[in-house]
Amino acid sequence: MPGPRALLGLGLLVAAARAGGRCRERGWSWNRSWNRGWERGWERGRCLPRRAMHSPGTARHGPPGLRFLGQEEAQAIDQELFTEYGFSVEQLMELVGLICATAIAKAYPPSSFTTSQPAVLVVCGPGNNGGDGLVCARHLKMFGYQPTVYYPKRPSKPLFEGLTTQCKKMDIPFLPEFPAEAAFIDELYGLVVDAIFGFSFTGAVREPFGSILGTLERVTVPIASIDIPSGWDVEKGKADGLQPDMLISLTAPKKAAMHFTGRYHFLGGRFVPPALQEKYALNLPAYPGTDCVLQLT
Amino acid sequence: GPRRPPARSPRAPKSLPGVERGPGCARGLGTALSPVLSGACSQGSRAEAEAMEKELLEDYRFGRQQLIEIWGHACAVAVTKAFPLPSLPRRQPTLLVACGPAQNGAIGLVCARHLRSFDYEPTIFYPKRSPDPLHRDFTTQCEKMDIPFLSYLPTEVQLINDAYNAVVDAVLGAEGTEGTAGTEPCAAILATLRLVRIPIVSLDVPSGWAAGPGGSGDISPDVLVSLAAPKEVARRFQGRRHFLAGRFVPEELQRKFGISPREYPGSDCVVAL
Repeated sequence: MPGPRALLGLGLLVAAARAGGRCRERGWSWNRSWNRGWERGWERGRCLPRRAMHSPGTARHGPPGLRFLGQEEAQAIDQELFTEYGFSVEQLMELVGLICATAIAKAYPPSSFTTSQPAVLVVCGPGNNGGDGLVCARHLKMFGYQPTVYYPKRPSKPLFEGLTTQCKKMDIPFLPEFPAEAAFIDELYGLVVDAIFGFSFTGAVREPFGSILGTLERVTVPIASIDIPSGWDVEKGKADGLQPDMLISLTAPKKAAMHFTGRYHFLGGRFVPPALQEKYALNLPAYPGTDCVLQLT
Repeated sequence: GPRRPPARSPRAPKSLPGVERGPGCARGLGTALSPVLSGACSQGSRAEAEAMEKELLEDYRFGRQQLIEIWGHACAVAVTKAFPLPSLPRRQPTLLVACGPAQNGAIGLVCARHLRSFDYEPTIFYPKRSPDPLHRDFTTQCEKMDIPFLSYLPTEVQLINDAYNAVVDAVLGAEGTEGTAGTEPCAAILATLRLVRIPIVSLDVPSGWAAGPGGSGDISPDVLVSLAAPKEVARRFQGRRHFLAGRFVPEELQRKFGISPREYPGSDCVVAL
């Protein structure tokens, strides 16, 4: 077997490295040796640039070609991240929380708050969207905001218990009850983060979230929704529902985002592997520099 | 229509009765804990780092995977600041990421993945894989991001110099002791790293440094990314850039371990020291 010297020049050395990966159909991996993988002509498919494919069904919003996902697709992609790509909920939730806090920091920097403290109310729902909110709250604290969390329905799972503890130990207060009136929220906070329901939401809204959403619909301070404005149908939206000022779409916007009329639509999800982006023809635009968020509107 | 926060008199948020607060809310009253002093030897500093990690995991209930994700991401951000894409000398933004068998290596894997998402082209050398399922997951994630794994590191150092813009040293970190630095495959990697001419970015502690006082055999990294707080051995660092990835450390822990607070720019998770 020729040694590295015999490889066809440095360009190929690097190219061979880039062409590598795992070939599941053939059942072997390229990394037994550089040149052997190169000889077998490794599948280049996975090395396509991000925006390789053109896709039908583009929307008016955002860059041309950007796809808006249906609920089932969004769930399928999520599942695939865990089952095929080896990510854990804990990991992705950490990245998502950072994404949300970063987007908020861009649109509503602490200096823009008219209060002496940049107070933020983070309303966390009973599932993963709520977990995203907890991580977001922690990062907001690190960014100099004063977050307060309302978390009425907490899953008794180590992940959520851990995230709650992290927040509490960082001096983030948890409200015992939701402010009774929208006016109280307007007075106390400069921003509300809606981390109640995400892309898995279906059916009727159970209490206490129905009342909470009713109150939120009447606040006048900006609301930033994580992934889906809570209470909205993930594909059709909800004309008489929450009207957030900011939407932070994760991975790719969902169809509901086409009904979003707020000022700021951000996208986050740079962690999505290129192969997955290709498979679903997401046509994601390039993220600026090393930012983890991209402003779509 | 667009909404803006209504004008109101400056006032801190009211504290509602019954608001749950964590034990950290003793702020302002002064904690009784005195900062743990950095030991005069590297072992003392290492004990502190381990104590902090333990507290993050057990008291703060961070998950280990969560922490490694945070650290790996921060290291990648530091690499992008030290070596911005447009500044790289090679036509392709290639990086070699050398990962050891323990936690420092896992941080390297996460770092490589984030570098890939930042449009760099990392290649990983991970000869001795940890059996830890957590580390296996990190490996899978990298493989699925199309990051190649080298089967061997060429002993011909010029090939490395020519193929990559820089090397990320995630081999031993703070875990290196007299024993491990000398065992394979770490010894061979270190031997090669001592000879490369391209810049080295070390994660937390330059590999081999923790084994004892510096000597001519040490690797000389160009960039150091300290995790949480600079380690004692970092005093010997003479490279170009030293970053601190410490934004994630809760304020209470910073006080307890005597970490001086730093201003982090914007929403950056690292700061240049």
